[in-house]
Amino acid sequence: MDESADMPKDFIKLKSEKLSVDEVSEIVISPYYGAVSLFIGTTRNNFEGKKVIHLEYEAYTSMAETKIKKICRDVRQKWPSVKHIAVHHRLGVVPVTEASVIIAVSSPHRAESLEAVTYCINTLKASVPIWKKEIYEDEYSWKENKECFWANSEK
Amino acid sequence: RLSSGRRRHREPEAEGCPPGVGGSMRCQQVSVLYFARSAELAGLRSETLSVPRQITSLQLWEEIVKVHPRLAVIQDQVILAVRQEYVLLGDQLLVLQPGDEVAIIPPISGG
Repeated sequence: MDESADMPKDFIKLKSEKLSVDEVSEIVISPYYGAVSLFIGTTRNNFEGKKVIHLEYEAYTSMAETKIKKICRDVRQKWPSVKHIAVHHRLGVVPVTEASVIIAVSSPHRAESLEAVTYCINTLKASVPIWKKEIYEDEYSWKENKECFWANSEK
Repeated sequence: RLSSGRRRHREPEAEGCPPGVGGSMRCQQVSVLYFARSAELAGLRSETLSVPRQITSLQLWEEIVKVHPRLAVIQDQVILAVRQEYVLLGDQLLVLQPGDEVAIIPPISGG
């Protein structure tokens, strides 16, 4: 079997259509490796007692893709055995319970892919120019990740 | 106060760029992109502005606020992205090329 034919790849997509866990898993599965780890971020229906109607996402698309590519490079440096990485992020309206982000990583064994997925979502939240607006019944709020170093926290 | 005779760098003159003047030596057309709350405050998503070619990141922000004063309320919570690299508002000296992209970056919330 020629493993070298299955070159490691990064699959990055920002799109307004509904995300698919099946699609993202299938992208990273490799016949040569035994582990696929996944993270799915979904829309909650509440925040601090307020009912959330839906989320809306926007992105500085070109820079977001560049930043996600850098995250993938960093992952491969830290976990060289990682095979494929997929990061799909939804833009526009995301209804409650639907996924806004799916990250999948394949590797020979589970430790690397589990750690790499954690690193991906944490670093995405700290560095990728994507913004989320939470829509309530009577108002809305631009969210700020606590990982974002230029957000004001509890002033 | 007397100067020490030695400056770290000469403060660039950010007087703004007179329209219609062939001041291309000192001024540069840049694309400014607005996102999230900054797009709501500015009332638009993108535009071309003429700004001094050499300018600190804080002075660049101030040029933008001159055009859209409502942006002033978020000054403590934004950074810029210049040629897709994050830049804090401050003394960092930027050398802008024609067509450079400058983005206003409110606190992010991806994922």
